[in-house]
Amino acid sequence: MKCEHCTRKECSKKTKTDDQENASVEVPSPAPESGEEKGEFHKLADAKIFLSDCLACDSCVSAEEGVQVAQQNAKDFLRVLNLNKKCDASEHRVLAVSVCPQSLPYFAAKFSLSVTDASRRLCGFLKSLGVHYVFDATIAADFSILESQKEFVRRFHQHSEEEPALPMLTSACPGWVRYAERVLGHPVTPHLCTARSPQQIMGSLVKDYFARRQDLSADRIFHVIVAPCYDRKLEALQEDVPTASPGFRGTDCVLTSGEIAQMMEQSDLSVRDAALDTLFGDVREEVRRHDGASSDGCLAHIFRHAAKELFDEDVGELTYRALRNRDFQEVTLEKSGKVLLRFAAAYGFRNIQNVVLKLKRGRFPYHFVEVLACAGGCLNGRGQAQTEDGRADRALLQRMRGVHAAGPGRTPETSAHVQDLYREWLDGADAPRARGTLHTAHQGPGRPADGRDIKW
Amino acid sequence: MKDSLVLLGRIPAHPDSRCWFLAWNPAGTLLASCGGDRSVRIWGREGDSWICKSVLCEGHQRTVRKVAWSPCGNYLASASFDATTCIWKKNKDDFECVTTLEGHENEVKSVAWAPSGNLLATCSRDKSVWVWEVDEEDEYECVSVLNSHTQDVKHVLWHPSQELLASASYDDTVKLYREEEDDWVCCATLEGHESTVWSLAFDPSGQRLASCSDDRTVRIWRQYLPGNEQGVACNGSDPSWKCICTLSGFHSRTIYDVAWCQLTGALATACGDDAIRVFEEDPGSDPQQPTFSLTAHLPQAHSQDVNCVAWNPKEQGLLASCSDDGELAFWKYQPSEGP
Repeated sequence: MKCEHCTRKECSKKTKTDDQENASVEVPSPAPESGEEKGEFHKLADAKIFLSDCLACDSCVSAEEGVQVAQQNAKDFLRVLNLNKKCDASEHRVLAVSVCPQSLPYFAAKFSLSVTDASRRLCGFLKSLGVHYVFDATIAADFSILESQKEFVRRFHQHSEEEPALPMLTSACPGWVRYAERVLGHPVTPHLCTARSPQQIMGSLVKDYFARRQDLSADRIFHVIVAPCYDRKLEALQEDVPTASPGFRGTDCVLTSGEIAQMMEQSDLSVRDAALDTLFGDVREEVRRHDGASSDGCLAHIFRHAAKELFDEDVGELTYRALRNRDFQEVTLEKSGKVLLRFAAAYGFRNIQNVVLKLKRGRFPYHFVEVLACAGGCLNGRGQAQTEDGRADRALLQRMRGVHAAGPGRTPETSAHVQDLYREWLDGADAPRARGTLHTAHQGPGRPADGRDIKW
Repeated sequence: MKDSLVLLGRIPAHPDSRCWFLAWNPAGTLLASCGGDRSVRIWGREGDSWICKSVLCEGHQRTVRKVAWSPCGNYLASASFDATTCIWKKNKDDFECVTTLEGHENEVKSVAWAPSGNLLATCSRDKSVWVWEVDEEDEYECVSVLNSHTQDVKHVLWHPSQELLASASYDDTVKLYREEEDDWVCCATLEGHESTVWSLAFDPSGQRLASCSDDRTVRIWRQYLPGNEQGVACNGSDPSWKCICTLSGFHSRTIYDVAWCQLTGALATACGDDAIRVFEEDPGSDPQQPTFSLTAHLPQAHSQDVNCVAWNPKEQGLLASCSDDGELAFWKYQPSEGP
């Protein structure tokens, strides 16, 4: 086997030197993978679990992370449920499950129900397993979007040629954020919105706000998130509850919609439907959606907010124009022939590449980009919209979009609970506590990924 | 057979380094070479000798693995181990780097221009194949990232007339891709080689594809359209590719490159045993099961591995080769005059 190059210092196949400079030698290019070193992540990869389609290269995930990601599975969830049935009360946990808004359309499409009825079916199933609380994670998206809106307006005012604060790039998608942090670094990371993702905020709401409200210590709660993609499992490893001790995780286990559906299909429990719980002790019958099926509706809400705040324009329905492909769309606000706001939605790795290329070349026409790692957006996450042979299930995706659009909508601003929480939980919208709980800093690359030979 | 490959000239093109790859411009007047010295060199004929017209050394930080001319001949793309692909614009004898394509995680192994000149493909050790689109202002946009291979992708090649892309990989397979709706998809996987597939070549018609491998064989694959007379099964509307010939027993080491002459149909190989070989299809052989004969074999063509062979696109029988010894050689191939 000919060595074209090699990134290893020690190589048994050092037969040829092609790059005199760094004595770089080619091993059979991809470092030969011995069976043992493959570890859990490779099993995952075999099982079609990827960090979105872009990171098919596994170099972003360390072996340790791979193991921790793999541990977040139905078996672990059932293990905790079973401990509750044992006598040893010290091992008992309060089980809380938060369901992402992008997961509900999956259950609705799968069981041919409305989103609200699907939430009742899911909630009933989880409760029959022994889960204590089932929450709708839309409230966390409310916070994330409200904070993003404020940040966008602030950046718009701050923006100057010398110190560009724009574009603002969304940070809710963990696959994208990880890629930006680990691979792209500067000049991309300063453009990432600092608002925490809905998943991270949900972790704080459950482990901090809800725990206190219930007079529980946070470690007594086992928090599960039902999400459309596998990347959220990796995100769960990193998120911490800012108000708790360092390293304390807001989410203990992320299960994909597909994993839950499999449990439902295999279960022989007789299930009575039940309404979702809220963090506030009451029960809500109807699930209300955010605008924008592909994500939590970041782009739509921030666009309307910015149009109103910055230009006093009321925007109703947004007009999306597909540009290069259906995963790259543009929305503009124009007044007397002048473009005031130019927003884009860029989904999937190829469109992310084009955003990055444009950004690096300094010719960037957009004020804001909603970036998602999955082509087709979150509904098309690999944890739910995939057929058995690993292809995108387009028919299912179409049905999900249909049921999502059919549900009643609401905006993040209209939630009274959110406004109460700002006051009661976070000491007010502008308080340091609110900032610490709802915002994060994005790091650049450089964190060594578990001793692997990585050169970016 | 012995005299059928005649040495015309030998040049230390990339001294003290490896010469990795060669590419003739479409007019056949210029030859680009690239190597471990991080440079691309452009060679042109003056009288009987070959002169270095330009040295492109500012673009890359590491080995330049492959080069490709655009179909119009005005652009040259270079793929490097520094994870980038440079696009050079030709202005008489000068070349200016107009764009650097970034995005691959690590070593870019190959680059190829589609026949229209509007699409470019790159592939990398990161296992992916990328398709780029070029607009009128020389702006490049990524139109697809294909993650079909499970290992390092060694080579990419476009069909001579259609927008069909082929890639060869360390995972022992060849994959074919076409556009579907607004993305690209893998439409065929050619399995059969028992080790790394290093390079590919289409025949002049584009109906057949040759692949060469670390398993010391060259395989010839033939395209069968849906509803073909031979009854080869196809998956939906996609053509099927079937191996119709395997050249084994001729090479004693890895075959690094294969070149199918677009003028004569002769097939040349570059081998790790330092030799160059030429094969020709036997006259009257069955198109469904063709046979090829070795018509030239030059055991010591270079002092080290031969990395690349390239037929001149205009001058029949003019073959260039390059090697780990850093040298570039020109050969005249004269087909034997019957038995």
